[in-house]
Amino acid sequence: MSAIPTLAIKSLRNRRTTAALTVLSIACAVVLLLGVERLRHESRESFTNTISGTDLIVGARSSPVHLLLYSVFHVGNATNNISWDSYRSIAQRPEVAWTIPLSLGDSHRGFRVLGTSPEFFEHFRFGDRRRLELTAGRVLQDTYDAVLGAEVAAKLGYRLGERIVVAHGSGEVSFSLHQDHPFTVTGILARTGTPVDRTVHITLAGMDAMHEQMPAGRSADPLAAALGKHGANGGALHRPPQGEAHPHEDGDVRAGHADDGEHGAITAFLVGLKSRPAVLSMQRYVNDYPNEPLTAILPGATLPQLWEIVGAAEKALFGVSVLVVVVGLTGMLIALLTSLSERRREMAVLRSVGARPAQVFGLIVGEAVVLTLAGIGLGFALLYAGLLLGQPWLEARMGLFIPIGWPSTHEWSLATLVAIAGTITGFIPGYRLYRHSLADGMTIRI
Amino acid sequence: MLDLQGVRFTWSSAREALIEIDVLRVAPGERLFLRGPSGSGKSTLLSLLAGVLTPGAGAIHLLGRNLAALSGAGRDRIRADHVGFIFQMFNLIPYLNVMENVMLPCAFSERRRTRAQRRGGNVAQEAHRLLAALDMAEAGLLQRPVTQLSVGQQQRVAAARALIGAPELVIADEPTSSLDADRRNAFVELLFRECRQAGSALVFVSHDASLAPLFDRTLEFTSLNKARSPSRQDAGPEPA
Repeated sequence: MSAIPTLAIKSLRNRRTTAALTVLSIACAVVLLLGVERLRHESRESFTNTISGTDLIVGARSSPVHLLLYSVFHVGNATNNISWDSYRSIAQRPEVAWTIPLSLGDSHRGFRVLGTSPEFFEHFRFGDRRRLELTAGRVLQDTYDAVLGAEVAAKLGYRLGERIVVAHGSGEVSFSLHQDHPFTVTGILARTGTPVDRTVHITLAGMDAMHEQMPAGRSADPLAAALGKHGANGGALHRPPQGEAHPHEDGDVRAGHADDGEHGAITAFLVGLKSRPAVLSMQRYVNDYPNEPLTAILPGATLPQLWEIVGAAEKALFGVSVLVVVVGLTGMLIALLTSLSERRREMAVLRSVGARPAQVFGLIVGEAVVLTLAGIGLGFALLYAGLLLGQPWLEARMGLFIPIGWPSTHEWSLATLVAIAGTITGFIPGYRLYRHSLADGMTIRI
Repeated sequence: MLDLQGVRFTWSSAREALIEIDVLRVAPGERLFLRGPSGSGKSTLLSLLAGVLTPGAGAIHLLGRNLAALSGAGRDRIRADHVGFIFQMFNLIPYLNVMENVMLPCAFSERRRTRAQRRGGNVAQEAHRLLAALDMAEAGLLQRPVTQLSVGQQQRVAAARALIGAPELVIADEPTSSLDADRRNAFVELLFRECRQAGSALVFVSHDASLAPLFDRTLEFTSLNKARSPSRQDAGPEPA
């Protein structure tokens, strides 16, 4: 009967203040639920898309998660380095298509410095196999070239040609600066939404050169110690990595082209294979490498493991937003229940003109449905308004780019669940009024 | 048209019967005045006539169909199609305006909608015609929220709603008790005229005997109802 929805809407219009507040509270709950879900989804996406197209990551013997953390996310430090010889010998194996050496441990004004080779810009892939792109300048060529991640350039306001000094260690404030070896900004990368944005890329040769003068004793930082709990050899953390402070005592540093010849020890390296199926045998080969204890991981297998650890807080956040939805719907329940006693007379009038008890029930449930749907609709509107306003901020502050697209299937199903929950909530006052309308009949007792 | 036989009704919580009526007949178009003090079970009887309550024993035939034997939905259908109701007060849905309140029964009954259309051209015109006949068609009044109407105006809107679509039976439960004497007679006259127009029978319940001479027939509820249960008060509203 079409009369019931019309009545439900007119009745709500009559109580528009309560109705508006109820809609608002449901909308806020929906915004929170969908917003948290979207953040969760996007951060997981950007997380698992941090690296792609790399078959293996090789580092000193440690737990896979630890290796992934320091090599790709630049969180924590390596327990040990890899000797240049081991790197060369693995890189020269016939299965290997390309390798990218990674040397970490220094920083520039709070941003990590990564010593690497020009291959990095050629072979490194992120997201859906996207390659790094320059917004300005060129990739590494000369020893003292530096290529900045998008966020480094944006935050520090650097332009091409600017000279920067690298500091030892990873903190924002460092007392040991490599002032004798300033680097020149020669390239700025486009934004990727990965740790690359927050990294200063220099040549291995440049890194070697500036460590020439360094005193011994690169110590592991406390964060690495904390994360090292996941590692098999966390106990080794407080030992300074062997042979690492002066990785190139032989002084094999040549100014000039960035990528030729010998270098000191490196922290880790990325491996691309000629054929995918070789990956497991190659992993076994590295893990059993006789000259040095090494670990090789498949990023695609270890990233989800790491997400399990990182994502736990977000599950709790999801739980909280579900509870907020419950609170929002309870608000609606209270609003509907408090209006019941004054509406018993209205229901008797409706019964007298021929409304069936089921229609009386349907009227109240219909109001709950209208309130819930309006709440969900407003929630989506607020969510998109929030995304439009918050997108630049999130990208600038968190390096998290949230694309604004149509709601995903997951979001639709969440919204449907809220709608169903709202309808079921309406059953409670609906049933009470239904009982009343059967018992009251035409005699209205107030 | 309306025919009660051996009707007994007991509230489930009470031991003694509240209603015990051997025979009650209402002819088509008849105007019946049912007089009785409050608390005598009049409102319960009206709920039985409207098919909202069902008797424990006996038969209530409305237009040849036994309400006691019909399902709840069936009784709701009969009420929607054939019965118009006027309460003592608070007749109107507060969030509908005057016109919407009057047209409400046509939303629940196809039959009354068709009849209203046949009489007035369309439902809104018929509602307007009835309101005009009840002196309620002033400009501005029709779209006004019903909460801004006086009690007398509200009762006239309720009468128009009971009469729209010409139901065979109009039941009025103390509709004049909140009106003063002048308005009371005027209201009853209007109601008569419109019932005659629509061809509806009128069962009018009141404690006020002064109205009785206006009707075709008067019945004392206390003599009609054999059950007198002092233990159970009729829960109908107290007359003003």
